Amino acid sequence: MKNTLRQVFHSSKFLVGFIIFVAILLTMFIYPLINPGNPLEMIGVGTFARPGTYVSLYDAAKTPTETLRLADADDKRLAKQLSDEDRVAMVEWFSATGVDIEGLDISDTDALLELWRANYDPAVKPKGMTQAKRNYYKRLDAAIKEVGAADTLIIADTGEGGALEKQGAITKTDYVNVGQVANVKILPLGTDNFGRDVLKELVSAAGTSIVIGLLAGLVATLIGLSLGLLSGYVGGICDDIIMFITNIFTVIPGFVLLILISYSIGQEQRGAAVVALVIGLTSWTWTCRSVRSQVISLRNRDHVNLSKLSGHSLFRIILTDILPYIASYVVMAFILQVSSGILAEAQLSLLGLGPKTTEVPTLGLMMNWAMLYSAHTNGSWWAYFPVILTITLISFSLNLMNTGLDQVFNPTLRD
Amino acid sequence: MKKLLCLAIALMLALTAIGALAETTDLPRNETLYFAGQQWGSVNSWNIIGTNQNNSMAIAGNAGGYRTLMFETLYMYNFLNGELIGLLANDDYAWNEDMTQLTLTIKDAAKWSDGTPVTAADVQRTFDIGVEIGNGTGTGLKGYIESIEADGNKVIINAKLNDEGKPVNPLKIMDFLTGTPIAQAAWIDTVVERNNGDAVSILNDAGEDVVWSGPYTKYFADDQKVVLIRDDNYWGQDESMWGKLPVPKYIAHAIYADNPAGENALKAGEVDVCQQFIGNVQNLWLEDGLPISTFYEEAPYGVCLTMPTAWYNFNIPVLAENPALRKAIAMAVDYDTIIANAMTNQSPSFSDVPRSLMNPTEGEQALYDHEAVADLQWAGMDIDGANALLDEAGLVDTDNDGWREYNGEKISLNAVCPNGWTDWQASMEVVAAAGKNIGIEITTLYPEWDIYQTVFTNPSQTDYAIFMWSPDAAAPSNPWQRVNQFMGGEFVGVENNWSGNWGQYVNPEADELLKKIPLTTDAEELKALYTELTKIYLTEVPSFSLMYRPSLFHAVNESVWTNFPAGDDGRNIPPADCTDGYGIRALYELELVEG
Repeated sequence: MKNTLRQVFHSSKFLVGFIIFVAILLTMFIYPLINPGNPLEMIGVGTFARPGTYVSLYDAAKTPTETLRLADADDKRLAKQLSDEDRVAMVEWFSATGVDIEGLDISDTDALLELWRANYDPAVKPKGMTQAKRNYYKRLDAAIKEVGAADTLIIADTGEGGALEKQGAITKTDYVNVGQVANVKILPLGTDNFGRDVLKELVSAAGTSIVIGLLAGLVATLIGLSLGLLSGYVGGICDDIIMFITNIFTVIPGFVLLILISYSIGQEQRGAAVVALVIGLTSWTWTCRSVRSQVISLRNRDHVNLSKLSGHSLFRIILTDILPYIASYVVMAFILQVSSGILAEAQLSLLGLGPKTTEVPTLGLMMNWAMLYSAHTNGSWWAYFPVILTITLISFSLNLMNTGLDQVFNPTLRD
Repeated sequence: MKKLLCLAIALMLALTAIGALAETTDLPRNETLYFAGQQWGSVNSWNIIGTNQNNSMAIAGNAGGYRTLMFETLYMYNFLNGELIGLLANDDYAWNEDMTQLTLTIKDAAKWSDGTPVTAADVQRTFDIGVEIGNGTGTGLKGYIESIEADGNKVIINAKLNDEGKPVNPLKIMDFLTGTPIAQAAWIDTVVERNNGDAVSILNDAGEDVVWSGPYTKYFADDQKVVLIRDDNYWGQDESMWGKLPVPKYIAHAIYADNPAGENALKAGEVDVCQQFIGNVQNLWLEDGLPISTFYEEAPYGVCLTMPTAWYNFNIPVLAENPALRKAIAMAVDYDTIIANAMTNQSPSFSDVPRSLMNPTEGEQALYDHEAVADLQWAGMDIDGANALLDEAGLVDTDNDGWREYNGEKISLNAVCPNGWTDWQASMEVVAAAGKNIGIEITTLYPEWDIYQTVFTNPSQTDYAIFMWSPDAAAPSNPWQRVNQFMGGEFVGVENNWSGNWGQYVNPEADELLKKIPLTTDAEELKALYTELTKIYLTEVPSFSLMYRPSLFHAVNESVWTNFPAGDDGRNIPPADCTDGYGIRALYELELVEG
């Protein structure tokens, strides 16, 4: 046993797969400790907040400030409000309304703004200008007003009598240390369409999906193994019946069967466990077939015949004389089943036939909601790409482990 | 020889392919206005008095007014101010003293496409045939209109009277003026004759030979697109109507597979007017810099006329017997999240426009006394309030499993809407989350539309506990019509109920008040009645609205056309996709983008 394990861990492929898988598992256990709470809590009001660090503006305004005189601060501020395209667009406005722009240098911000303030009128409707373009100029005008705003922002509160009373002021050179602000929220992967923290949800979903995969793999392997053992060892009419059923299941495409069953049990009954069960029930056939062929080659070996002569029962023979010889193969089959179970859940959920949605997050459901909210067309990559990456990593690591095991146990591949 | 044959076949195939292409790509871009979000699937018929036409560009009654591209109504409705503007009829409709009779006259200039004048007799025949064969007009209005008489060019509409000799509902007669397209009497006779008077075959007649009065007519229709072409003999170019023809020569609607396909076509400039919900629509111009705009530049971007609503099923005892439970769930729901999520803020919040029976337009908001019901309203997310209400009503967790019980049984409900209706699904998720916060188990359920529609319209169903549907948006008979849908007893027990009160709520007091409104003309009295109804609604909570929503979405891409209606242009044209009610006026004022 010890020797086998040493051999297994000697395989670099297995080792890499194992490390990735364990890393994912560790994240699943450790991350919720760092960031506890309900992964389905809708913290954001609104859809798809970008990944980044969010600082409470309210708290920041009340945090003690340091004065920093940074040379490029004004330029950065200006660039944010008035881009080069905006400058060109301003000139377009001037020509559309017949303003004299003789000798105007568009990089000369002051001259440009002065001319703009003197000539822009939101009520003017230049001929042929679209509503969208006029709306754009209105927004630009608002931004330009910001540029020209006073150097200090006044914070005021309604005092007695309802009049505004000055509480404080913020100047352009005021900076706060993020570490001192009471509320700073880091959302490494932003929020999803429901305003949930994607990373937190992803970690929890990976866990659920692995559990679904394990359960599905377990069910499929158990069914496949027991039927394969029976069919291969007992043979005769028993073999015929089992192979008849297996063949029927093999010719019907598994995924179609999966869709039909999931659809007919109805959404109300479709919890994560039920979906895992359904996946397991539809994917046992190839395990069964290969176990059977292995058993057939084993059943006439001397030690089995010896056991038979000694009067051992059928189950004892199967359990002690046959199973240990195909155990390594079964473990590999199990790993593949887990991997395909996780993929099957993702595929089903993407079609809207996965587990019902309010209870637990799964990788497939996250992708389903991202797709329903067109995350792929509106550029919200953080809502689906990390999910795809996680699924890929999990399956990749499981398949890698499987290949590694194969190299160790399969005599034809052994170096 | 074989080679020659192959060549010939290849040539033939190529020619057909070119021919097919030529047929569909023929439309000159700068004479065509492209639409999305109206027509799904291919057209079934052009029969204006039939049913099941699936012909949205030509035959569609919307909540914002009838679509008058091909068939015209007597009046056009402007939902911005509730005005009726004469189309086939002059602006002279008048009630008699006790509102039992409405008279109006048909415009002299109004003509059918075959050159014959539109007459009062056509109006009469349109109504009569409707009652006879039971189409939408007939079944919808026969309870309110006794008869229509024609006297020269004068139309006399006699209201149906109740036992007391008063009209049943004058408001519904106003709906007839704006909501019923008029068909030609002579053409109706032809259709009746060729179907031997059989009602079912008349309803299903394809109506290829239909006579129309509107500015456009059919040009091309298959499963890929529908095209209407301008009728340059249109009577409306007479000075008494528009004085000119509408600007685009063609109206085209490609048939898209789904919303994202239509949205992408809008972004690409292949669609000019898009009647689809687009999440975060402002990003199209703020981030993508596309020449796309909506009616208002700022949120809510459109005119919200309706409120998608969650209905409680009164066939389920725990809901029917516990007003406190109904109110508690409604109070605990986080509406701000729903509005930010499902509507991406294209709806005013319930703190801006407090909940009542009215849509957020100024006209309807003025119809009830805000002060009088302020104590009853809620803005949502009030977990403590909801918990207190439940505790007080004795709905407590007796076995300490975290869920409240009623009569010893755990309260477990489902929240249901059709699968794929993402904004509604998101809302149901938020409702379910609210349940968790107050110890009421609510699970979401998204059946396919085919199943959903048969269940929620079934008056005795107990499968769905909380389910979604929208009441009517805007018509001359609103808000009465909508209030009736919220609480009207007339819909209770009606099989295949698409009309209203889907939760089967019964309240005789509300019914009494509802009967009075159509006959009330005094503004103060009307306000008192609506206020009283609002009080009942907010106390009893037979349903709760989740958001406000436009009845039509209206996003336009100005790559080719411009001068679409906008909120601040002072023209008072409603954002009704340039096609519905008074919104069609936009078609006469469109301009090509220069350059």
